[in-house]
Amino acid sequence: MAAIVLETGSAPPVWAAYKSGTGAFDEMLDLAGSARSGCQPTAKALFAMPLDWFAEISERAQHMFRRMGVTFNVYGGSDGTERIFPFDPIPRVIDADTWATLEAGLVQRVRALNMFVGDVYGEGNILADGIVPRDLVLGCPQFRRAAAGIKPPLGNFITVAGIDLVRGADGRFYVLEDNVRTPSGVSYVIENRVVMTRLMPDLMRSCRVRSVERYPADLLHCLIEQAPGGKSNPTIALLTPGPFNSAFFEHVFLSQQMGIELVEGQDLVCADHKLYMKTVHGLRQVDVLYRRIDDDFADPLVFRSDSMLGVAGLTAVLRAGNAAIANGLGTGIADDKAIYAFTPAMIRYYLGEEPILPIVETYLLRDREVREEVLASLERYVIKPTGASGGYGVVIGPKASEDELAHVRELIVADPCAFIAQPVIQLSMHPTIVSAGSGSGAHTQIAPRHVDFRPFVLLGAKPRVLAGGLTRVALKEGSLIVNSSQGGGSKDTWVLEA
Amino acid sequence: MLRRIASHLYWTARNLERAEWRARLVDVNYHLLVETAPRGTEPWAPLLAIFGERELFAARYATADEDSVLNFFVLDLENPNSIRNCITTARNNAQSLRPYISSELWIDLNSLYLDAQAWTPRLFISPGVFAFFSELKDSFYRISGILQTTIPRDPAYDFMQIGMMLERAEDVARMLDVKYHFLLPRLEDVGGPIDLLQWAAVLRSASALEAYRKLHGNAIEVDKVVGILVFDPSFPRSARFSLDQLEVSLGRIAAERSESSQSQSQSRAQFPALQELSAALKSDRSAHALKSGLHQFLIHIQDACAAISDEVFGRYLRTD
Repeated sequence: MAAIVLETGSAPPVWAAYKSGTGAFDEMLDLAGSARSGCQPTAKALFAMPLDWFAEISERAQHMFRRMGVTFNVYGGSDGTERIFPFDPIPRVIDADTWATLEAGLVQRVRALNMFVGDVYGEGNILADGIVPRDLVLGCPQFRRAAAGIKPPLGNFITVAGIDLVRGADGRFYVLEDNVRTPSGVSYVIENRVVMTRLMPDLMRSCRVRSVERYPADLLHCLIEQAPGGKSNPTIALLTPGPFNSAFFEHVFLSQQMGIELVEGQDLVCADHKLYMKTVHGLRQVDVLYRRIDDDFADPLVFRSDSMLGVAGLTAVLRAGNAAIANGLGTGIADDKAIYAFTPAMIRYYLGEEPILPIVETYLLRDREVREEVLASLERYVIKPTGASGGYGVVIGPKASEDELAHVRELIVADPCAFIAQPVIQLSMHPTIVSAGSGSGAHTQIAPRHVDFRPFVLLGAKPRVLAGGLTRVALKEGSLIVNSSQGGGSKDTWVLEA
Repeated sequence: MLRRIASHLYWTARNLERAEWRARLVDVNYHLLVETAPRGTEPWAPLLAIFGERELFAARYATADEDSVLNFFVLDLENPNSIRNCITTARNNAQSLRPYISSELWIDLNSLYLDAQAWTPRLFISPGVFAFFSELKDSFYRISGILQTTIPRDPAYDFMQIGMMLERAEDVARMLDVKYHFLLPRLEDVGGPIDLLQWAAVLRSASALEAYRKLHGNAIEVDKVVGILVFDPSFPRSARFSLDQLEVSLGRIAAERSESSQSQSQSRAQFPALQELSAALKSDRSAHALKSGLHQFLIHIQDACAAISDEVFGRYLRTD
C-alpha cells in the first residue's frame, strides 16, 4: 500500500505509519497516498497536526458529549446502561458531485418504498402483477394486516427513512439496507456537528461544509403537512417508549428541537376515535403522532396486548382518519431483508426509472437451488436474518468459526425463509484515531477502520434530504460491524457546498 | 402541559431544593460543632431528628459520629434523601424534561449529577469539608440562576416553582425547629453567648444573617428570627415568601385555563390547606406563634405543606 504523500514531499511522522487497508476503498486517500476529491484541505490540515493533538481533541470531544448528556442506553449491559457513542474527530468528507448523485438516488428509493407500502396495504397491484411474490409479503413478520385499508394523509406511510449505504472496493455506494420503521441516529449527526464546530472551526469554515441543523425544522414541516384535513396549527407529539429505550436521548433531542410534546403511552388516551393527551387542564387532541415505538407495542387492542408503551385504540383512530402517524403502521414490510432483493424492481415498477443506487446482490434462501448453492460454500457469504435489525444475528462467513457456520447452517435448514445471503462487501475504510498497545505501552495512532453511512430522507408534501448523515465506524481492527450496540463509533460527515 | 411532565418538573425542582437545604443544614451544624464545644455524646443526633431519619440511620450505622452522619446525609445511596440521591432523582426526572427546560439548565444539572457520582468520603477530611459545602452551595446557586434566567414564565416554570417553594417552606420550618431539638437551651443560657451564636448559625444557614442585621440591627432576638424566616413577605427564603410565590404560580396556571376572576377564586377553593396556611402566615405574628409553642407551630407548617402537596397532586399532577 502506498504511504502518504504530502505536497512538501516527505510524510509527517504521525501519518508515516498509516497504511490504507488491503482490498478496501480508502475514503480519504487514493492508492498513491494523495487526498481524494474534496478531501485535500482536510487532509492537509490533519497532516500538519502532531499526534498529541489527536489524542487531545478525542478527549475533548468525549468530555463534551458526556457533559451534554448525548448518550444511548445499552440493552443487557451490566455496567450502568448509559454510554456515550464513541466519536472519532477525523471527519468523513463527501464532495458535492458525489452527494448530488446520492441525494437523487435516495429520494428515488424512498419514494418507491413509500409507494410499495401504500400499494401493499391498498390495491396490491405489485403483487397482482407478480413483481414481488405475494407469499413473501404476506408471510413477512413485518406485514401488519391491521394496516390494510388505512389511508394516510398525502398517502405517506414513510415519513422518515434512514438508508444504510456502504462503499465497495470499487468506490461505489451500495444500499446495504433500508430503515423505514423508526430509524434512529439523526441526533448524533446534529450533535457531532456541534462538537466538531467547536473542535475544528477554521477547517470547517474553509471547507464550506453544508449545515445539518435544519433537520428538526424539516421534520416538523413534514409532520405538519400530514395533519388530517390540512389543519393549519396541528398538535404534534413524539411518542417514546421512555427513558429506558436505547434511543431515548434522540427522542428528547428531537422533541426539544421541534418544540413538540414528548409523550409516553400513559400520557395518551383514545376516545370517540380521536387521540388525546392528558394535560394539566384536561384532554387535548393530538393530530399527528411521530412515534418511536415499534408496531408491536403501538396499540394493545390490535398488536401485543401486554404492551404498556402504546395506546389502546390508536389503530381505530388512524382508520377513522382523525390522526396521522409517522411512520405508518406496517412500514417494516418495505425494509425487510428479503423484500430488499426486489427494490430495484419496485423502482422500475412505480417510477419507470432505472435505480440510481445499486443494491448488494441478495440470495433468498427460501429458493431450494439458491439455498443449496449457498450452503455449499457458506464461508463465502454474509448471512442475515430477515427479521432482525441492529446487526444482531449477522454471520460474516469469512470471519466465522466452524461452530458458528454449523450453527447458522442448522438455522437456515430449519427455517430457510428467515435468512438471506449476500456476498461479503469489503466496506470502505477511513483514517481513524485509535489507541494501540496496552498498559504503559498504550499510545494514540491513526489507522484505517471500516465505515458505513446512514443518510436520512424525509417525505412530507415533498422529499427533503439531510445534507449529511451518520458515518459509523467499526473501532475494532478488522471489524465490519459498525452498530453502536456492538462497539461502533461515529464520525461527523461533511457534505461540501457545490 | 402533560400531567406526567408537570410532575417531573415538580419533583426535579423539589429535590434540588431539598438537596440544597440539606447541604446548608449539614454545613451549619458542622461549623457549629467546630465553634462550640458539643454537649452530649451524639452531637449529630438532632439533625437526624429534624429529618425524621433516626430509624433509617440507626438501621445502617452504629453511632451517630461525624463520619457516619456526613456519609448518611451526603453520600448514602440507601438513604433516599441523601444529597447525592436528591441530585440523582432531580437529574433523572429532568431527563424527560429536556424539551421543557433550557439546555443550559440540563447541562449544569447533569454536570452536578456526574460530579456527585464521583464523591467519596475523602471529601469530608478536614479542611476539605468546608470547600466541599461551599462549592456545593455554589452549584445550587448556579442552577437556580440558570433556571431563573433561561426559563420563560410558563407552566413549566410554574410547576418547578411549586415544587421548589413547597420544599422551601417545609425546610425552613424544619430548620427553625433545630432550636427545639438541638439548641433547646438551659434556662440560664437564654440570651447568653452560646444561644446567640446558635441563632446566628440558624440565620446563616438560610443565608439570612445579613438580611436580619439590615432589618433588625445587631441584637438577635428569637421572635425576630422567627419573623424573618417565617412571616416576612420580603425575605426570599421565608415560609411566607415561599407560599406567596406558590400562589402566584398556581394562579398563573389556573389563569392559563380561564381568564375570569370568578373561576380563579373557584380554583383557589380547591386548595383549602393552602388557603389556611397562607392566611396563618399573613395574619399571625411571630410573638403569638412563640407563645402558643414554636415547635407545634413549625410542625403545623410542615403538615400543611404535605397537605398542599396532596392538593396540587390531585388537581394537576396525578396521571391515573
